[in-house]
Amino acid sequence: MSDDHGLVEMQPTPGQKLAAIFKQREVRVATAWGVLVTFIFFIIGGWIYPSWMPIAMSTDMKSIERLIVIFTWISAPICGIVLGFSIYTFLHRHKGDTPPVDGPGIRTNGLVVGLWVIVSSALCLVAIVYGLIEMNSASAATAEHKKNALVVEVTGSQWAWSFNYPEQGVVSHELNLPINRPVEFRIISVDVNHSFWPVQLGVKVDANRLQTTVVDTTPNKLGTLDVKCAELCGLYHAYMETSGEVMSAADFNAWVTSHQGGHTA
Amino acid sequence: MSGKESTMTASKRALSAVIGVLLMVAVVGVVGFTLHSASADPHKRLYATKSAETIVIDGKSYPKATITMGVYADTAQAKEMGYNTINKKDYVQYGPSSHIVLPAHTYVTMTIHGYDGGEKLNAPFFGKVVGTIGGTMNVDGVDVSEIPADQVQHTFTIHSLPSSNRDPLFINIPLQHVDQGDKGALPTLDKATNFKGHTMTFSFITGGAGEYVWNCEYPCGDGTYAKFGAAMSAYGYMSGKVSVA
Repeated sequence: MSDDHGLVEMQPTPGQKLAAIFKQREVRVATAWGVLVTFIFFIIGGWIYPSWMPIAMSTDMKSIERLIVIFTWISAPICGIVLGFSIYTFLHRHKGDTPPVDGPGIRTNGLVVGLWVIVSSALCLVAIVYGLIEMNSASAATAEHKKNALVVEVTGSQWAWSFNYPEQGVVSHELNLPINRPVEFRIISVDVNHSFWPVQLGVKVDANRLQTTVVDTTPNKLGTLDVKCAELCGLYHAYMETSGEVMSAADFNAWVTSHQGGHTA
Repeated sequence: MSGKESTMTASKRALSAVIGVLLMVAVVGVVGFTLHSASADPHKRLYATKSAETIVIDGKSYPKATITMGVYADTAQAKEMGYNTINKKDYVQYGPSSHIVLPAHTYVTMTIHGYDGGEKLNAPFFGKVVGTIGGTMNVDGVDVSEIPADQVQHTFTIHSLPSSNRDPLFINIPLQHVDQGDKGALPTLDKATNFKGHTMTFSFITGGAGEYVWNCEYPCGDGTYAKFGAAMSAYGYMSGKVSVA
């Protein structure tokens, strides 16, 4: 574009555009709020979430915990920008009965829209790639697990779980597992659909009616397990819970020996 | 509203806000009260009878208590057995109450008279006796540790609420079904009737105070949801509460 004197009007560079945007006090204050919110969510994601989550007693649970932390960190800047501008708007809202006349509508801002799309897409891409890598490593571990896995047949029925250890000849209402030995859960329901959820192991799998689903994990920390149903399954769904323990190999063998041919009392 | 100034005074605005808050509190209160009333257990509590006797188990002395229940094929049978049920539907049901109260840290001996038939358990595990003293129960005078999955009429299964601050309590009692033409032992209660049945007796030790639930693990409802409809989906028939106090 040229003026009457034939001089070419220079288009501002993206950097100049950005500088012009940040020259506005409102933008600087809102951005400061955004940075603060982002920082808070970084802290929540990295330090508070893990303390809220159950104790990780398997590599799968640790992996899920890490995934949640990283996804929180990835989404923190987006949340920061949205909440930052929301907070600024709220703090500087109009007071009084007569609202001011609306400002001119901003139909588009190429730089802001471009940045928003590119940054959001990049963050989503990182989340997708990271998630796929984690899933792939879990699948690779599953193949390795098959060799020495302890088989546990998990049966869900309204409203209790039962666990059959076919190789050991033990059936129990408690889920006891040896530490550092892969476990292959064969999960089935004999009535409606349930969801098998040994919380600390990071496993949550649907128990489908008369269909067996196989899932593997390796407990790697001693402690108590909470086993719940995560699928609304009827009157006493809330009570479809039992407990278990990840124990040493010696303790597990002793437990098996004391219950072989029978069941836990 | 743009360009139109409100004429409401500050005092009127404040009054409106107060009335609004009071209305919201009232609505929440009514909803809460209604839900609380609806959740109250209409069944009378059935208390275990405490005994002066004690028993020593693994070197520890426990007081004794007893409690008796029955399971009836329908309301008419329950009433004939002297159980004035408040249940409205003509379903299979336990009686005389679905809410039992057991003393804490006590050796409880429970007797269940079962008068119903049966088909087959969905999960064979619930044919086993779990959580009792010695892992057994007594059926018409004979000690057993399990009932075949196709000979169970119902189960009496106690388990815990989802909380870790109470002692675990898991008990599973499969009840021997009544066959057509069964000449098995009759419970003393039904001498005046023609109801054939079996008597199951078992003992267990309660832990500390806590709230638990019991239910039947035999699919004895109607055909809805794998026979877990009707009696199995309505509180107070084949399910209830266990208070250890």
